[in-house]
This record gives sequence, C-alpha cells and structure tokens, in this order.
Amino acid sequence: MTVLQIPERPPLKAAGLDFATLVRQHQAMVFSICWHVLHDRAVAEELAQDVFLSLHQHLATLESPEHVLFWLRRVTSNRALDVLRRRQRRPMVSLENAPEPVAVSSTGDPMLNTALRKLVAALPEKARAIVVLRYQEDLDPAEIARILAIPVGTVKSQLQRALALLREKLSRSLGEIRL
Amino acid sequence: MNLDDELRSALRRREPSPDFTARVLARVSMAPVMAAQRPWFSRPATRWVAAMAATLLLAAGTLEYRHYQGERAKSQVLLAMHIAARKLNRAQKKVQMITHRSNS
Repeated sequence: MTVLQIPERPPLKAAGLDFATLVRQHQAMVFSICWHVLHDRAVAEELAQDVFLSLHQHLATLESPEHVLFWLRRVTSNRALDVLRRRQRRPMVSLENAPEPVAVSSTGDPMLNTALRKLVAALPEKARAIVVLRYQEDLDPAEIARILAIPVGTVKSQLQRALALLREKLSRSLGEIRL
Repeated sequence: MNLDDELRSALRRREPSPDFTARVLARVSMAPVMAAQRPWFSRPATRWVAAMAATLLLAAGTLEYRHYQGERAKSQVLLAMHIAARKLNRAQKKVQMITHRSNS
C-alpha cells in the first residue's frame, strides 16, 4: 500500500484536526450538496474533490471546526451554482439514468424520494441551492442567507415559491396524493 | 404526507464512492508538484514582483512629471523676466537720450 505524502499545513487551532479527518467528516455533506444541486454523480464527485483541494489550500486561514463547516457549505454551494450556470450555457448529456449514490440511511418512499429529487433538480438554480441547504443541511433562512450572501427576505420568498412549485408539480405527477 | 419531511428524506446526505477520501488525499499530495509546474507568469511571487515593479514605475513617472512641470514653470518665469529686463533697458536708454538732448 502506498503511503501518500500530504504536504504539511498548520492544524486547526481549536480542534487540532488533520486534513484526512476533515475530509472523512465532511465528504457526505459536500458531495450531497453537489449531487442534489447538479443531479450528476460524476460531476458532483469531481466538484467535491475540488472543494477539498481548495480547503487544503485555505486550511491555515480557518480557525475552528465551525469555521470549516461554514466555509465548506459556502464554497460548495457557490461552486455548484457556478457549474450549473456554465452547464446551462453549454448543455451536457443528462445522466439521469446513472445509479443513485448510496444513502446514509434509507427512509421514506423511494419512488417519492426520486420524484422529489428530480423536481428539486428542475428548480431555478438559486432556489435549488436554497432548498438543498434548507432540507439537506437543516439550516434556517438566516444561515442560508449568510452562506449564499443574499438577503434573508430573498431566501424566505424563494423558499416559499420553491415549495409551492414543488407541491404543485408533485401533486400533478403523483395524482391523488394530498400534501 | 408532510412535504417538509419528504424533502428531508429525499435530500438526506449521501456518501460518495468508497475511495473518495483516498482520491482527495492523492490529489492534495500532487498539488505542490502541480504548483511548481505552473508557468512563471502565473506564480504568486511573479505577480507580486510585477505589482511592485508597476507601483515603482508609476511613482517614478509621477515624480519625473512633477520635476518636468517645475522646470517648465522655471523657464517660463526666466523668459518673462528676460523680456521685462529688455523692455526696462530700452526705456532706460530712451530716458537717457532725452535727458542728454535737453542738457545739450
């Protein structure tokens, strides 16, 4: 087995966490934001790797585990939105048929989950990021506003509009289900 | 059915492929090599030197322009004084001629 030579970086002052531990701790969060925003596993993994590479370069400027978490959420969301914008300018072949990533814990109706993920992936880009941060990361509108650097009012209105759209489309696609 | 709960379930965190951490660490270990292979003009040190050189050039240019403006003003003042001196000289000569005539 090859031992990788990881370049030295100052450890986080508060927790003394090493880089490999940080990757393992946050990889599901980073990858899932990318996956839910982009709906493309290969691109999501590539982007998640880029985010961690960038984290390694900025590690010296991050002071606590909370700072790392905030930094990762902000950078991941913004980069996923950048990729989305670039992809909309230059459409790529859809990978909708690609196998879904392994869920941490499987709950709920799988068919409904798949339908919801597709509907979320069809939302406008900013609304998509807001919904992902709200329901994947369980963040409140103020925290989402800080991460995306937009007003709280915008987050609330976009979230309400997105939920109304999801309700409408879901009830249309699933027929008789009452929401 | 509660849409909030369904969204939480649909958008729960997922694990990337099992070798994800290893691939990130491999890329990180290659990063300094890639940085060293960057062209000279895109290295941070080169950019700093270029920025410093540009600042120095700008400062030197500003000083030189101010010096030029000073020299120009000085030569204009000297020219004006020269013209004034010539005119005074002529006037003095005329006064002397008139005085000389009236005396003789």
